Amino acid sequence: MDKFKANLKSLYPHFHRQSDEHLNPYYTFQDYRQIWGVGIFFLMATALLPLIAMTLICYQLVDQSIDTESLLRAERLASNTRRAVSFFLEERLAALTFTVNEMGYERLTDPSRLEEVLRNLKLGFGGLTDLSVIDDSGTQVAYAGPFNLEGKDYSRQAWFMECQRHDACVSEIFSGYRDVPHIVVAVKSMQPEGRFFVLRATLETERLIQTLSSYKTGEHTDIFLTNREGVMQTPSRFYEGDLNRLTIPLPAYSDRTEALISSDPQGQPIVIGYAFIDTKIAPTSFVLMVVKKKAGMMKVWLDLRSNINWLLIVSAVVIALVVFLTSSFMVNKMFDADREKARTMVAAEQNSQLASIGQLAAGVAHEINNPLALINETAGYIKDLFILKEQYRGDAELIEHIDSIIETVERCGTITRQLLGFSRRFDVQIQPINLGKMVSDVINFHKKEAEYRAIAIHVDIPATLPLIETDRGKLQQIILNLVNNAFQATDNGGWLDVRADVEGAEHVRLTIRDNGCGISEEHLNKIFEPFFTTKKEGQGTGLGLSITYGLVKKLHGDIAVQSKQGEGTTFVVTLPIHTEKGFDA
Amino acid sequence: MKRYDILIVDDEQRYANMLANRLTLRGLTCQVRYDGRTAIDIVEKVFFAWVILDLRLPDCYGVEVLSRIKAIRPDTRVIILTGHGTEQDRRQCLALGAHAFVNKPLDIKRMIAIMGQDKA
Repeated sequence: MDKFKANLKSLYPHFHRQSDEHLNPYYTFQDYRQIWGVGIFFLMATALLPLIAMTLICYQLVDQSIDTESLLRAERLASNTRRAVSFFLEERLAALTFTVNEMGYERLTDPSRLEEVLRNLKLGFGGLTDLSVIDDSGTQVAYAGPFNLEGKDYSRQAWFMECQRHDACVSEIFSGYRDVPHIVVAVKSMQPEGRFFVLRATLETERLIQTLSSYKTGEHTDIFLTNREGVMQTPSRFYEGDLNRLTIPLPAYSDRTEALISSDPQGQPIVIGYAFIDTKIAPTSFVLMVVKKKAGMMKVWLDLRSNINWLLIVSAVVIALVVFLTSSFMVNKMFDADREKARTMVAAEQNSQLASIGQLAAGVAHEINNPLALINETAGYIKDLFILKEQYRGDAELIEHIDSIIETVERCGTITRQLLGFSRRFDVQIQPINLGKMVSDVINFHKKEAEYRAIAIHVDIPATLPLIETDRGKLQQIILNLVNNAFQATDNGGWLDVRADVEGAEHVRLTIRDNGCGISEEHLNKIFEPFFTTKKEGQGTGLGLSITYGLVKKLHGDIAVQSKQGEGTTFVVTLPIHTEKGFDA
Repeated sequence: MKRYDILIVDDEQRYANMLANRLTLRGLTCQVRYDGRTAIDIVEKVFFAWVILDLRLPDCYGVEVLSRIKAIRPDTRVIILTGHGTEQDRRQCLALGAHAFVNKPLDIKRMIAIMGQDKA
């Protein structure tokens, strides 16, 4: 289990685990987890939605096809079977009608003639058991066949009453006097004196049952006959219940062949094709039922559906895997690139700090050199006086020169103190800072250059400005960078304006403005990007403003720039007055 | 025409004066100017054997003053005396005809030696 977890972890993109506290968050502008998640979501959605939609449509089509196809097949089978059953009955009724009209009452009641007719009919159609002639009172007057039922009274039997009403009739299947299932078909014939008689034939049911089974296709098909009350007429394999009753509901009457979808007593879906059978000569009470189990018919479709399911599952898994791996790979790349950039930025910032120290040291050395030269000359002159002119001993001029030496040493002391002030910026700590003093310290280092280049520097920082809690070194570097920048942009004879005021209750705003060359609009939104420079190759690293931006962000501040080409540039740095101690400086 | 031995050009007034004092003590005649323009003005009027010239002047670079002086007075020898001279400055000045290039603080004996050598 642990091993599995370890494997799973290694699949997980590494930016999830990585936390590099040395890199400051402002260097990485992305929420990688979010990008990763959103990426996976959209890729998955794009790939899987059409697949799922296709599958659902396919399901629906299959369902519809199954229903349509099943109904059609059941109906066709029922129709064919109905034609066969109707034909079976009609053929025999037609033969009886012919016999009755051809022979007449006199000849048919002759037992030997009746025997001959029976023989001929058996020869022509088969399946006939016997023949009898019954007069209009329902009494059997002639009989040919294996059972001697002469003199029987049929006047109360259903088929006889039916025959009286119509010209012919077909009975239900029943056992009657002889205890063998059979169908009675009978034809009525009118005699000249207005009386009638009936020729009756008994049909074996075996023939009919055989005809029905010959239409059975497949294991799940059941074909049988019931009467209109739902009593079974021929055996059914699945749907015969107690007392010979049908176990599924009998469909409503229709004169056409119909099909419908229903369910069996177990709740399984079935397709029923049915027809109420009537012959052209006589109505019958038979209802033909063709019942198919839907599950059986659907097997091919179900197989197809299962294939579709598998295809969907396998595709989904493959897509998910590919999407996951691709997203992880891309976001990892992005994360690595950003981290590399951040590393470069951090390194560049450190380099720039070192460069600043070097610049500072050189500046200080230059500044101290002049006073030292003066000390050297003054001391040298005094020595000269002592060596070359005895009379200068106790002279007032000497005292003046010694004062000069002391004054010059003081000048060096001032410069040294400023140097110490600068070096303190390497202690990373939050402390109250007098912004005005810091600005004048920085400006002091540019005083000489400003003098040479006749650049006027105005500083307007009100004494009432509150002390701000921030990191001394970083703030100093920010100001130094911006002032340096302004000096580089300004032509000789230009001006530089530094002012500060309070913004709201919580912030101080420092504005550094020059009337230098300005920044073109197309460059304006790029100037904080690392390595962006408009200077010639080798003259600028393009890191100054980017580092300044980083430092301002580190101090929880904000920096903005306005510029117009040829008119000058204004940088506005907004810093919080209060900063919590121990923040990530 | 009045002749002086040395013209000292340096924006640090006390330094220039002090150097003039020291050279005067050694018997040389000195004039002092604190910027480039006035220095060129006096060079046009007066002949100096030597000019001691600082590179950083409030109104212009010493290099410009050097070329003007050499243009006006090719015989005047110019010693560059600067606190911030780089190797590049040195080469440029010597190319423009400077006689010597000396860094501050100055060793007075060396200065005298440079000028004495030439006299001899």
